Amino acid sequence: MIRLENIQKRYQDFEIKSINLEVKKGEYFIILGPSGSGKTLLLEMIAGLVKPDSGNIKGIEHSRFGLIYQDYMLFPHLNVAQNIGYGLSIQRKKKNEIKAAVEKTSRELGIDHLLHRSVNNLSGGEKQRVAIARAMVLKPEVYLFDEPTAALDMSTRLQTQRLFMRLHKELHPTVIHVTHDFEEALALGEKIGLLLNGDLIQLDTPKEIFRNPATKAAADFLGYKNVFSGKIQNNRIEINGVEITTLVSHSDLAYITIRSNDIIISKEKILSSARNSFFGEVTKVIQRGSYVEVVLDVGILLYVDITYNSCQEMGVEPGRRFWVTFKTSAVKVFEH
Amino acid sequence: MKVKVLFSALGTLLILFIVVPIFRMVIAVDPVDLAKTAVEKEVLGSVLLTLRASLWATLAAFCLGIPLAFVLARSHFFGKKIIEGLIDIPVIIPHTAAGIALLMVWGRHSLFTRWTGISVVGTEIAISLAMFFVSVPFLINSAKEAFKLIDERFEKTAISLGASPWKAFTSVSLPMAKKAVISGGIMMWARGISEFGAVVVLAYHPMTAPVLIFERFQNFGLKYAVPVTVLLIIISLVVFTLLRILEDRQ
Repeated sequence: MIRLENIQKRYQDFEIKSINLEVKKGEYFIILGPSGSGKTLLLEMIAGLVKPDSGNIKGIEHSRFGLIYQDYMLFPHLNVAQNIGYGLSIQRKKKNEIKAAVEKTSRELGIDHLLHRSVNNLSGGEKQRVAIARAMVLKPEVYLFDEPTAALDMSTRLQTQRLFMRLHKELHPTVIHVTHDFEEALALGEKIGLLLNGDLIQLDTPKEIFRNPATKAAADFLGYKNVFSGKIQNNRIEINGVEITTLVSHSDLAYITIRSNDIIISKEKILSSARNSFFGEVTKVIQRGSYVEVVLDVGILLYVDITYNSCQEMGVEPGRRFWVTFKTSAVKVFEH
Repeated sequence: MKVKVLFSALGTLLILFIVVPIFRMVIAVDPVDLAKTAVEKEVLGSVLLTLRASLWATLAAFCLGIPLAFVLARSHFFGKKIIEGLIDIPVIIPHTAAGIALLMVWGRHSLFTRWTGISVVGTEIAISLAMFFVSVPFLINSAKEAFKLIDERFEKTAISLGASPWKAFTSVSLPMAKKAVISGGIMMWARGISEFGAVVVLAYHPMTAPVLIFERFQNFGLKYAVPVTVLLIIISLVVFTLLRILEDRQ
């Protein structure tokens, strides 16, 4: 188990604030956060490459670990085979042992045909695999990934994610993977630490993090679009003349969020247990790949995600009016 | 297109400014005098001494200057700008002044000589010291800029793969900066060879080529100075062209 206890680090104007977390042996742990949130600095402290100002990191001191950066950091003066064998040559292994290990690992990753190539002429995906092979050949107990797929195109990114899943399933290493990509975090993570502005604001399973963001900042980062603020009285918050029912009875200042896919659009008013129902006009319909984002003005702007088929069947288009309905439990309240 | 023509014309003017005096000197020299000078023991000895002394200075700078360049490229500390300014001082001050400054540290009446009883004045060591002083900024600055361009994460990656910081430096940073380091070394060597002011103060004898040229010009006139000058130019041109070719092949 890797344990971080009260880790603090000040770097120029930025500060990592008292981080506490535990990563279990064999766990795939994601540190999720936007650019500039301190993810890489935290990872480098875990790797022992940067010293924290205070606090302790336990459980990795004597472990073999493989660190893989976003832009691969392949040594440009060495070819692919020399890059992969670098760590073994540092260990002064015999040449034939290095050759055998490099060939075995490169075969497993499907890059054995690249061994004599210069690393400067490889594609992004190939470079990524060489970087993985360079770490993997040392049989690390812990992998530290710093935005490892950020520089890849969508198709190669998915392939690399599948590769990570396979490696984790087959070899069971502990993985600490830093990313800003929610989908990647959802696809790979067994546990997620949400890092915002140097602060670990939530530590939970992917499902819980995305269902119940701990703060408004978390909700903002996770892409919640329906975020409002106001005063809650008698389980109601009034925003711009629109009254929304909440589970919280009173708060002088609260933020609320409603997930876009928790809101239902209908032509007629639905008679249901849902307490929040409003009538409004569609102002925008935006194609978002696998779904459609509809913006309705009900006195406030509400973002609703529906499928392309629903959009077609109901004739959702700007200027038309619809009912929107959501349950009280769909309104997440952050009190301040 | 017009800009290209204008820039080419300006560039040609600059090249002519450098080439014309050299060309004028080369065609002025009598080939027979040049041939005689080329086999003159004193001349050959001074040219070899110049090349050798500058080489020692450059090799010493590789040992002392490259670690300093790496520290300056990688570290942020109070007074760093002052140190960088100090390194550039030898380029700024008149080289005779540099020679006098060196004489006060290494001269016969200096603390160094009084304590050790060793006097380097008038030796090949003194020539190398003078050359080192005036030319070391070329190597340090070139290496420093090269190290700055190398992402620190290359070294961190090497360390994560089991390398010690020293091994990460020698196996990753230094090979990656090799071209600029070698180029800086060549520039330093070249600058050392051409040094006159500091050398003449610290060691008039044994005579380096620039001192010999000055002495012949002073005592015998232009006719005797030019063949030595042309010989030094030819030898330097051949050596540095070869070095540049080797550098490009690397």
